[in-house]
Amino acid sequence: MMSALGFFGRALLARPRFAVGYAIVALVVLAALFAPWVAPYSPVEANPNEFLELPSRAHLFGTDAVGMDIFSRAITAPRIDLTIAILGTLLSSVVGTALGALVGFYSVGRGPKVWLSFAVMRAADVLQAFPVFVFAIALVAALGQSIETVVLAIAFVNMPIYLRLMRSQVLSIRAMRYVEAAKVAGVSDATTIRRHIIPNAIAPVLAQLSINVGWGILLTSALSFVGAGVRAPTPEWGSMISMGFQNVVTGQWWPSVFPGLSLAITVFGFSLVGASIEMLSDPARRQTLAQEMERRNARAAARQLVKAGI
Amino acid sequence: MSDRDAGSGFPQNRRQFLRNSAALGGASLAAGAAALPGPALAQGASDTLVVASPATPQGLDIEFDVSLGSIDTLGALYEYMLGYEKMADPHAPGVMREDTGVHPDKPNGLALKGKLAESWEVTPDGRKATFKLREGVKSNWGNTFTAKDVKWTWDRKFNLKGQGLFQTAVLGLHTPDQIKIEGDHAISFNLEKPNPLLLKQQCNLANPIYDSVKCAQAGGKDDPWAVKFLKNDSAGFGPYRLKQLLRGQQAVFEARDDYWGDKPAMKRVIMKEVPTSASRLSLLDGGAVDIAQFLQPRELQSLKGSKTVAVDAVNASYMIWLELNAAIKPFDNIDVRRAFNYAIPQDEIIRTIYYGYADKQTAPMPYIYPMADTSFFDYNLNLDKAKALLGKAGLGGGFSTTISYNAGDPTQEPIALLIQTSLRKIGVTITLEKLPAGVFYEAVTKRQKPVIFYLDSPWTPDPGYSMYLYFNQKSYVDYSNYKNDRVDQLITEGLETLDDKIRQQKYTEVQKILMSEAPWGFLAYPKYTMARKAGLKGFTYYTSNNLRFQDFSRA
Repeated sequence: MMSALGFFGRALLARPRFAVGYAIVALVVLAALFAPWVAPYSPVEANPNEFLELPSRAHLFGTDAVGMDIFSRAITAPRIDLTIAILGTLLSSVVGTALGALVGFYSVGRGPKVWLSFAVMRAADVLQAFPVFVFAIALVAALGQSIETVVLAIAFVNMPIYLRLMRSQVLSIRAMRYVEAAKVAGVSDATTIRRHIIPNAIAPVLAQLSINVGWGILLTSALSFVGAGVRAPTPEWGSMISMGFQNVVTGQWWPSVFPGLSLAITVFGFSLVGASIEMLSDPARRQTLAQEMERRNARAAARQLVKAGI
Repeated sequence: MSDRDAGSGFPQNRRQFLRNSAALGGASLAAGAAALPGPALAQGASDTLVVASPATPQGLDIEFDVSLGSIDTLGALYEYMLGYEKMADPHAPGVMREDTGVHPDKPNGLALKGKLAESWEVTPDGRKATFKLREGVKSNWGNTFTAKDVKWTWDRKFNLKGQGLFQTAVLGLHTPDQIKIEGDHAISFNLEKPNPLLLKQQCNLANPIYDSVKCAQAGGKDDPWAVKFLKNDSAGFGPYRLKQLLRGQQAVFEARDDYWGDKPAMKRVIMKEVPTSASRLSLLDGGAVDIAQFLQPRELQSLKGSKTVAVDAVNASYMIWLELNAAIKPFDNIDVRRAFNYAIPQDEIIRTIYYGYADKQTAPMPYIYPMADTSFFDYNLNLDKAKALLGKAGLGGGFSTTISYNAGDPTQEPIALLIQTSLRKIGVTITLEKLPAGVFYEAVTKRQKPVIFYLDSPWTPDPGYSMYLYFNQKSYVDYSNYKNDRVDQLITEGLETLDDKIRQQKYTEVQKILMSEAPWGFLAYPKYTMARKAGLKGFTYYTSNNLRFQDFSRA
């Protein structure tokens, strides 16, 4: 374990952009956890005596059209955005992974299970044929505007990704000797899938998780921007941008720009983390990185020697 | 818009065209600009008026279309029987408005002037009005105006049963026979009961007179009321004719040389569709248009101090309020409705959201209308009083409810946020529900939301007309489900007498009751604003909140 952590630490040093990614994510998570204690003002309280004030010491990011403190709202927003995105992503990955494993396992041969697998895949095709955003809006319109619906929308639009990912993994794993051995030994299908297939197919799914959390935040914000996501005045980046963008024309840029920056930086952070997980979970690329780090160490050692005049 | 148009009417290459379009400040304008001959956008053309509007007319027939773009074209294309005298606006220098007040010294107590009707007479019992019609008036199709045109116009309302049905009902007209031709140039309206609206309705924007000869000819046998024709073209006696209507892009009007009255100074009017207010603002600021309609208060504020652009803001018939649904708990309780009103931060709404381009709503009808009485308004922000009233209603611990608002109106969300914060202080938890514009109007008419915003204006400057619309339980527009038999009775009695003293007495009592029972959450009287080039003169305000292009001229 120590060596894995050590490797991880050294990998971050070798690829500083990943370190930036983890730092951003850590910051966002900290904001989500501690915002109520850190925020200088209530994020939902209008104060008509201080509307559209420029960023200042009293209001770091300024105030919006009804006098709510933008800094307090921007740092409280991850509580909503992150929660929705994580819940949506987890839901989609759990359901998608389970379904994907079943569909992959039962995709060859005949019988009702195979037909069912086929039907599930076609249903996923239909889901994916819709533009993600349009589908999410339609879902929110049908189920009503609430945080739960946005979670469901994210889960729905992401599920086919996990389904396909898992299925393609399972298709190759189910032909492995150890799976055949399990079958021959009389192990039930359920146990085979649970004990032998899923654990060996899960790595790419984990890499996908982080990227999807970033997308989930983006989708939540986009839905709120068009008015289909969370309700005002819940602090949420997309809805803040939407509430503030009319002011940009008349010169008050801060109500939109700060939540916009927060959103962009957060999604960027999650993408970097996703990329790092993808790299670290790929044995070939991990080895390249390890070799690179060794070469670098060797060069550094050589320089030391030269310096010492040896 | 085709490329062919761009090639023939606008001799310039693609790059120049794009550059010019960009300079004009909006991609939305670019499509339409291709069809304009050069001078229309250049500012040398002093007799061309260019208006940036949120929308071009969808239809031109008031029977079926009362959208923003449509109501701005009616006064230009059509003529009316009567009009109000104009007077200088007492608060806005250089602006004219209709004199809609009570004038005991004038015939019928009104400051009216004849338009298609040259003179008129109402019998002492108030049940019959006879109009002597102007002779020698030509329509935009060259047909001569006669009594048949007036008759046909009202017959059309009875037959089509669109919004005209309301116009007949409000006058107490039950059959077309009540409107009688009394000669080639004379017509009478015959009522069962006296009606103080009889003359006022002749000025209403919704009652333009049609050229019946052209309509019959254009409609033929299949379409005797020329519904298809009047949707896309006009047949009237107004100062302009329609030259072109490209929905979603522009409408072009041309002044008529054979118009009976004063010839308009603006010979050509181009109404361009520019949906976003920010683009309209930049077009006006950049000098590309003469008028930018319906700018947001903050945008108007940003024009202050400009040398090239002027903003007129006049007291108007607009009202914005919250429908407190009396059929949904706890708003069935008068104390709760009163408490709600005491918690509305009206002053802050006027200052923060409207930047002063509105006044506090202090009466249940437009404050500019005759007999409006603002003295019963007592709802200045007072959270202690609000809390006490909630306690009296058994809701001392507060309650939860939802306020629904229109996503299409950028002022409603911030107003809702201010109210939410204020009510939170007395324990009332508000959920905000943002509804897309289409769904919003349906929600208002269905009357199933506990609290919903509404912005409206009763066009006829009359207390009975206005309060009948919103508070009579038989009215379709009583969206707050308010029911009070005494109020109904008083409103109706006031609509059956011509005696202004009696009317005043009754409508004062109605306003007193309404203010104390608070069927609405009273918010604001938004002003009608005109953002125009500084050199454009003649803006006149009408209670139907529309433009009439013939009013404008250049200094």
